[in-house]
Amino acid sequence: MFTNGSKYFIGVTGFSAVVLVIYVVLVDGAVGGAVALASIMLAVGLLAGLALFNRDGDVEVGDAAAPANAVPVGSSLWPLVTTLGIVAMGVGLITHEIVFLLGLTALVAGFVEWVIQGWSESASSDRRFNNAARGRLIHPLEFPVIATVGAGVIVVSFSRIMLAISKTTGAVLFTIVGALVLAGGVFFAVRPNLKKSVAVGLCVIGAVGVVAGGIAGASVGKRDQLVEANEEDHFAHKECGEEKSKYFDFNSEAKVSMRSNPMATIEFVDGKLQARELGLKKLTDRITVQKSNNISVIFRNKTEGEYRLTLFYGEKEVQEGVVEELHNCTQMIESGEEQLLTFRIDRPSIASEKPYKFYVPGVEDQSIEVVVP
Amino acid sequence: MPTSVRRFVAGAAGLSAVALLAGCAKNAPQDTWQPKGPNAQKIDDLQKPVFAIAGIVGLIVFAAVAYAVFRFKDRGQPIPEQTHGKPVLEIGMTILPALLLAGIGVFTFRTIFDLAKTDDTEMVINVTGQQWWWEYDYPVQTDYGITNPIITSGQLVIPTGTKVLLRETSRDVIHSYWIPALNGKRDAVPGRVHYLRLEADKPGIYAGQCTEFCGLSHAVMRMEAVALDKADFAAWVKGQLELADSPAEGTLAKEGESVFLNQCVRCHQVNGLKKADGSPAIAAPEENVWSGAAPNLTHLMTRNTFAGASWDLLTKECRKDVWEAPGGEFGKKYLAGVTEECLNQTDLRRWLRNAPAMKPMYADPTKLGPTDGKYRGMPNLGLSEDDIDKLVAYLATLK
Ligand code: HEC
Ligand SMILES: [Cu+2]
Repeated sequence: MFTNGSKYFIGVTGFSAVVLVIYVVLVDGAVGGAVALASIMLAVGLLAGLALFNRDGDVEVGDAAAPANAVPVGSSLWPLVTTLGIVAMGVGLITHEIVFLLGLTALVAGFVEWVIQGWSESASSDRRFNNAARGRLIHPLEFPVIATVGAGVIVVSFSRIMLAISKTTGAVLFTIVGALVLAGGVFFAVRPNLKKSVAVGLCVIGAVGVVAGGIAGASVGKRDQLVEANEEDHFAHKECGEEKSKYFDFNSEAKVSMRSNPMATIEFVDGKLQARELGLKKLTDRITVQKSNNISVIFRNKTEGEYRLTLFYGEKEVQEGVVEELHNCTQMIESGEEQLLTFRIDRPSIASEKPYKFYVPGVEDQSIEVVVP
Repeated sequence: MPTSVRRFVAGAAGLSAVALLAGCAKNAPQDTWQPKGPNAQKIDDLQKPVFAIAGIVGLIVFAAVAYAVFRFKDRGQPIPEQTHGKPVLEIGMTILPALLLAGIGVFTFRTIFDLAKTDDTEMVINVTGQQWWWEYDYPVQTDYGITNPIITSGQLVIPTGTKVLLRETSRDVIHSYWIPALNGKRDAVPGRVHYLRLEADKPGIYAGQCTEFCGLSHAVMRMEAVALDKADFAAWVKGQLELADSPAEGTLAKEGESVFLNQCVRCHQVNGLKKADGSPAIAAPEENVWSGAAPNLTHLMTRNTFAGASWDLLTKECRKDVWEAPGGEFGKKYLAGVTEECLNQTDLRRWLRNAPAMKPMYADPTKLGPTDGKYRGMPNLGLSEDDIDKLVAYLATLK
């Protein structure tokens, strides 16, 4: 009635059920572990069912059980992987969490593969059939995992390369890489009868190239600019004042593609700020914008040097007794360039003692008043 | 004819008759065929000939079809000889409509470009749509005496004979601004600024309607453009720039002011209103209303409709007196605002008693999850009749 394989899986299922119960009773409130154990139990339970249902993969063989496998089977990789996993877990305990996790992954993967391979090898005396049986079971698991890991490796490699090289080199390099991928695709398409080995070879060369580039990139490290900007605390930098850092806010895009919607254009012409409101021809030093609405203005720098436009729009109590001024600003804009600034002011002008205004940090006496009714 | 066909024909005829008769309505303030300003006139100048041409073409086609139907009716005659193609006729029938359409196209494009012009603007006004009312603010324009921005809602006040440019946008969903007597419609889209030219020849009130479906109360999202002659407009501007005065101590209105400070000021701004400690009372609609705005009530009684221009602040008789005043007298009557005798207390009280019952709004406090607890519209504040008396007395002082 019970085949060899199913006996084994039923045993493992029972064992994991017992472990699960013990775990739940002994270990308090650790949901993750219970879920993992329950998943293992379910998985092996499923395999037990499968093995029972298809009589260890050979429906022809009756209850008399499969004849002993006459052909000696080859050596297996999986015991090695499992052992390595255990070792890595041990090492991980004293070095780094990630090593432990990798070890755990190797352990689980090796164990599952080992169990399934062991089962398939005794499924029948036909090796090819055994291989196919193994594939049917394990491929739906193997392929997604391999694909995920592969994609992850490629993404990480790409990102290492891009962080290491400069912005312009990056643009050039990836234009070339993109073109090569396209050319490869075209090549495969026009030569459908290409030898498999050639196609595989090309793909392997590509993959090895990317991974090698990634490793090289990772060992070179991030480009100086990023490192230095990071040291300047690039990502925490929020001030809209005069720019003291060397990298933050520089090299901005400084191109405006949206033409129809800015409420005003603010120009910094030879050291003087001037504004032109949408629909009005006259220059003004006072613009009116709606309350509680996203408003955009274009800032255009027509003065030698790099400047930013900053908006002061009131104060806000961030904590009990701590009042902060509210600012919003463009990046540093080179002479002749422009940028869009989008802002929203929630309080009318009468709510602020100091008038709201646009100004250029570091330049005295130049401002455009912003009135919010 | 089978009965079903007959019924259909009768129904269609009936419907068209109703549609036709509706076209004759006397009191049709949103009639697109009665331009009251140069922009609408341009559209009218285009649509009349196009309508005429289309009508003539339509008649010719109908006549030809009718002729063919009767002339070649099956009377048992032999089937005529079948031929294929008639190049002269076919080419002619292609070129003729193409020429017609090209001709119409030239004038249509000219009108479109004329109506998109912005370089002759004399005055700009920001128009901001939100569920379900329009806010107007007038940027500082010293030429018109607007030395500080003016903010109002529902009724857009413009000087006659002035090329006004509206800068339309929206705080929540897409709306569309349409005063049929003055111009075509233009969508108000969040994050974008769209222009609409507006100019009225004569003083008067021109009604309009939001024409982009914008949710629950789209049907009662109305607006009016009020044109005043230049002198009256200057007087209006002067009035709008003033701050609200606090009512005299001991009056009912003064009590209303404190109810207002407790209940209303978290959404509605009244410029000049001070808290008990003397500091200015600043509304915070962005914390209470989803769109981030509620009508500014500083000069509520200078407009004569409210809540999306859908209810009157004037009693029936007074409304008639103002709305139907001849051009010369209209300005003075409008500027008089809503006087004590003319105040339509019924609707205003109804609004204060339970606004969402009057105008459907998302104001059920238990269903504000999707909007982070903010209302869309004005909630039912559960005021006592006593408080409503006080509030009405206070609101009546906001001129
Ligand atoms: C939660 C915010 C909120 C509160 C509180 C509130 N309102 Fe409103 N009110 C609104 C909104 C939003 C509208 C616009 C509704 C519409 O027209 O669709 C409005 C409209 C009005 C209007 C019509 C204004 C116009 O020009 O069309 C009046 C009058 C008014 N409210 C009076 C009051 C009074 C008086 C109180 C205090 C008792 C009050 N409101 C409390 C949000 C509020
Ligand atoms: Cu609308």
